[in-house]
Amino acid sequence: MEGVIKLNANGKQKRNAANEHILVCLSSSPSNERVVKTAVRMASVFGSQLTALYVRTPDYETMDPEDRKRLENHIRIAEAGGAETVTTHGDDVSEQIAEYARLSGVTKIIIGINSSRRRRLFFKPTLTERLFELVPGIDVHVIPDTGALGAYYGKKGRFKQSVLPSWKDIAVTAALLAAATGIGLLFQRLGFTDANIITVYLLCVLIISILTRGFACGVMGSFASVILFNYFLTEPRLTLRAYGSGYPVTFAIMLAASIITSTLAAKLKAQAKLSAGDAFRTKLLFDTNRILQGAKDEREILTITASRVSKLLNVDTSVHFADENGLSGGLLFFAGREGSEQALPEGPDFEAAQWAYLNKKQSGMGVKPHKAIKFVYTPIRAGESICGVLGIGAAHRRTDAYEKGIVQSILGECGLAIENLRNAKGREAAAVLAKNEQLRANLLRTISHDLRTPLTSISGNADTLLKNRAMFDDETADRLLSDIRDDAEWLTGLVENLLSISKIGDGSIRLDVSDQIVEDVLEEALRHIDRGSASRTIALETGNEPMLARMDARLIVQVIVNLVNNAVKHTPEGSAITVKAVPDEAFAVISVSDNGPGIPDEWKEKVFEMFFTGDNDVGDSRRSMGLGLPLCRSILEAHGSELILGDNRPSGCIFSFKLPLSEVDLNE
Amino acid sequence: MNKPLILVVEDDRPIRNLISATLKMHDYKFIAVGNGAEAVLEASSHNPDIMLLDLGLPDMDGVDVIKRIRSWSDMPIIVISARSEDRDKIDALDSGADDYLTKPFSVEELLARIRVAQRRLSVVQTDRAASGPLFVNGDLKIDLAAGLVFLGNEQIHLTPIEYKLICLLAANVGKVLTHTFITQKIWGSSWENDIASLRVFMATLRRKLESDPDTKRCIQTHIGVGYRMIRIDPADKEEKEQ
Repeated sequence: MEGVIKLNANGKQKRNAANEHILVCLSSSPSNERVVKTAVRMASVFGSQLTALYVRTPDYETMDPEDRKRLENHIRIAEAGGAETVTTHGDDVSEQIAEYARLSGVTKIIIGINSSRRRRLFFKPTLTERLFELVPGIDVHVIPDTGALGAYYGKKGRFKQSVLPSWKDIAVTAALLAAATGIGLLFQRLGFTDANIITVYLLCVLIISILTRGFACGVMGSFASVILFNYFLTEPRLTLRAYGSGYPVTFAIMLAASIITSTLAAKLKAQAKLSAGDAFRTKLLFDTNRILQGAKDEREILTITASRVSKLLNVDTSVHFADENGLSGGLLFFAGREGSEQALPEGPDFEAAQWAYLNKKQSGMGVKPHKAIKFVYTPIRAGESICGVLGIGAAHRRTDAYEKGIVQSILGECGLAIENLRNAKGREAAAVLAKNEQLRANLLRTISHDLRTPLTSISGNADTLLKNRAMFDDETADRLLSDIRDDAEWLTGLVENLLSISKIGDGSIRLDVSDQIVEDVLEEALRHIDRGSASRTIALETGNEPMLARMDARLIVQVIVNLVNNAVKHTPEGSAITVKAVPDEAFAVISVSDNGPGIPDEWKEKVFEMFFTGDNDVGDSRRSMGLGLPLCRSILEAHGSELILGDNRPSGCIFSFKLPLSEVDLNE
Repeated sequence: MNKPLILVVEDDRPIRNLISATLKMHDYKFIAVGNGAEAVLEASSHNPDIMLLDLGLPDMDGVDVIKRIRSWSDMPIIVISARSEDRDKIDALDSGADDYLTKPFSVEELLARIRVAQRRLSVVQTDRAASGPLFVNGDLKIDLAAGLVFLGNEQIHLTPIEYKLICLLAANVGKVLTHTFITQKIWGSSWENDIASLRVFMATLRRKLESDPDTKRCIQTHIGVGYRMIRIDPADKEEKEQ
């Protein structure tokens, strides 16, 4: 029950100052109601945390429906009083209580006296006595009996339900005893000793205990086998007398052995059943956990939780999602119909869910202030906040403590899964932020460095010309002027790339996509190529049919410009550069190839890294920021495509990428 | 052709100097002002032939300047805008501008745009009266009465939409028409699908005209903005580079 915010009796979420933690023991007896009410009052006086514990023993299976109903009523009273209910499983009630009290830091235990009296039937120290022994440090408050109990016990024998065997059990017992007697007679005829025959009877009692419910049949079988043994198999036959002086001892031992065998077997069976229940619960939680691990967002986790609870309890469930803006509309899951969820309309149900969300407390059916609602709304906690509200349908009218425990565990898993998800998201965001921050720092450093060089050249050249024009011949003046122009052009290209980076780099890429004619885009791009391209031949090859592809035209133009400029920069003068677009099934494949020296294999990955510029550029030694290719790559990634670098034959390289072709209904 | 009077509206002094110097060198008459109010004043008092208008003015929105001037004048307006302001460009074109220049622009580009505007001016001045049933642009001939289109002496076959498009472009020769403007004229709506359709029709139309090297580039595509038919002037080779 870790991960659950403790509630104090007033239902307000606050860690209680006195650190009191009251544990009240639930039972099905009528006087338990008073015990629970006393505990609730006490918790509210102390302002302390209240837990209601029900220890589920094997008797639970055979519990009278009336008792069961009463128990559920007690659980409801406890919950209405702000208690957290917990169910544990075990045979020994006092040990279970003690264990829970120790683990959860309970300071006071409140218990009804009748619970203790019941245990006397088992010839053990009373429950309270054992409790005192097991938890010496904790106050145990015993609420006295009101006296109505005697009548209660008189009315119904305790064994009535749980121990009285059915006709079928009696028939099985009789048949087995007959078989054992038959085998005994056979053994005697074969001359086997009595020991063998007694063993057969013991075996028979063991089998009876296993096959029948409770231990009544086993005990009955024990007595019957002694009588049968005496009647049929000892001298004189067919009488209940025995000649052998040792026989009374034999009978006594035989009886004792068979009674012990039968009770042990019955107990074992009950234990097995309990542990099977526990195993089922563990497996269930494990499965839920596994499914929740696979969920991608909070909504999915909550949806899975609700549908799982619906499937498990076979009831209608609903889930409301909470985010920063509060609680939003819910989804309804119908029992037994998977995938049939539908949106929940606003109304009193939503109000009840809202109430549960705001007060971090259960609401809905039977709980103020929304008693009339047909759902019980339980807030789902993730860490300190409420991430949603689970509604459990009214069809599930009896609040079975065991199932309730499972639901609570599933909600716990759900909360944990959501917390994990949030943590993972936080870490991811932090990592991205750190990476972006580093990128930004690198970018700024490189930009300020790279800007200074052309700016120095521009202002220096302009200054020189302005002051000393007369001293220069035309040729020199022209060279200085063309340097100014080239540097300015270079800066223009840089600004274009930076603009695109600012659009793409902050993680939230907002593409302005539309269907574009690929050819138009390529033509537009070729209009923005650097001046150096004049010394290279640039060819544009497109197919016969116009191709319509979906893209952010501005950014794709930027990609082509960068690729062609790159090719211009890294190829010797006179090289041929080809820009090509061909359809390939549902894609337009766009490529920029050159017949230059190509890119060495060891650089092939590096060229996509920011600020990589190669060692020596082949053409003029124009500075490069190394922004172009990484930018192209991010632009294409934003388009869901990728930039592929390949080798051209016989030399050079090819950059290519795909864009999805789009269909358009022509408005003829 | 008479050199027209050009009104330059630009608040950035170096750029205004650059434009002024260029115009002066090419013997254009011009008036240079630095804000919208002066622009409207000068436009009304001097009645210039062409206006170069920077969209980012300090005192008023460039689009408002266009709207006010369009209320009495039909003069070609070329807007100057920064690259990232596509929306502003489209708004300016839709409110009556003829053409646009994107910063940074080269001097040649500026001169080319002015020449295009000049030609449009002459078209407006001469063709308006004689807006006959025949439209001729280089080798391209449109017989508006018969609904036929010729390339040289050869008739080319256009679908009804293509014919509507070429007529619309021809009627606004020299002016950049935005996607919205064209789709509104052709289909009466401008949904995304209409614009995609428009791109396909334009691509096929251009292919049909491409067989003739002269008309090959007579329809310009302005990515993200629209289309324009330019008047082909055999004497002006530079124009084809545009």
